[in-house]
Amino acid sequence: MASRREEKERLKAERLEAQQAEQVAAGKRRRLQLLAGAVALAVLIVGALIVVSQSGDDDDGSEPRADLFRGIAQKGIALGDPGAPVTIVEFADLQCPFCAQFSTGVLDDLVARYVRPGDLRMELRLLSFLGPDSIRGAQVAAAAADQDRVWSFAEAFYADQGAENSGYVTDDFMREISSGIAGFDIDKAIEEAGSEPSVGLLTEADTLAAENGINSTPSFLIGPTGGKLQQLDVDRLELGPFADAIDAELDRTRG
Amino acid sequence: VADRQSGARLEGLLLASIALVLVGIGISGYLTYTHYEGIDPSCVGGSSGCHIVQTSKYAELAGVPVALIGLIGYFLIGATLFARSELDRTITLGLALGGAAFTVYLTYLEVFVIEAICQWCVANAVTMWALFIIAAIRFVRA
Repeated sequence: MASRREEKERLKAERLEAQQAEQVAAGKRRRLQLLAGAVALAVLIVGALIVVSQSGDDDDGSEPRADLFRGIAQKGIALGDPGAPVTIVEFADLQCPFCAQFSTGVLDDLVARYVRPGDLRMELRLLSFLGPDSIRGAQVAAAAADQDRVWSFAEAFYADQGAENSGYVTDDFMREISSGIAGFDIDKAIEEAGSEPSVGLLTEADTLAAENGINSTPSFLIGPTGGKLQQLDVDRLELGPFADAIDAELDRTRG
Repeated sequence: VADRQSGARLEGLLLASIALVLVGIGISGYLTYTHYEGIDPSCVGGSSGCHIVQTSKYAELAGVPVALIGLIGYFLIGATLFARSELDRTITLGLALGGAAFTVYLTYLEVFVIEAICQWCVANAVTMWALFIIAAIRFVRA
């Protein structure tokens, strides 16, 4: 009798154990299903975010040489490694066709040969003596410097330069040319154009130009970083004269 | 014995989660600090990637620094770790999953939109993913 009761007890305990194990397994299955559902939902949300961000970019293919400054630090008006031994300051007017010519004909090579390896840093000082469109462009560019995007903005501007002072430098124009500048908030720049810091930056450029007798664009100063800069006179907007001057300056600083 | 081993494993996962939350707080706290101070995060090898990413418009979401959102996220995850109910583990998992998904989006922005990589952001993404994986294991095994 006792053994039959024990057998029944044992079987009952086994059933209970099996039920419990089944409950645990069912709980695990339910949690796995929940997890899979949540992950799928997260994938959908991330996918939607990416699609939305892509449609917001609306790249029309007019982005000027997008790779030019990729991976190079822009800080305020400066481009390149702050510790680079040589500095070139460029004075430019965004409407000036020769500035655009320098940008497309020389800057690429300077960046590849000297800025990217850390031998040269450049500063962009914007003047605006060509007229109202230059002034508006320079103001927004100065605000772009506050977002460390002034070099990219100037490049984009040059790529779409219009007829001088035809009134083409509108907010819409600047939004359009800026659409390809990674991480740049053009609306913020437009809002801050004419603010005290951006006006201050332009006044600083005017003062520096006056101090160095600069009255045309593009004009350049060159010298050791943090040291005395002097005017760089070039007879043509080609890499040669710039490379000669930079090499000589590098020799002096390393001398 | 099996229960004790399983319990010890879960405790180990909890400790790992706490360590990861502390790492995450350190990273996002540092990035939040540099954001508000207006200074560049230190990047290994002097890479400019951190500067480019941190000064991009994607460094803020509706005016709130992304790093601060991450910091708050880590604190919330940390808070749920100390309560032990299934609901708490579910919340931990939800937060970690949200954080991990967000890092995927941010990494996409870095690689394909901003075209620069911030080492701190990569470290943060790895931390958040590790947290999510551990949270998922704790959620399923509990």
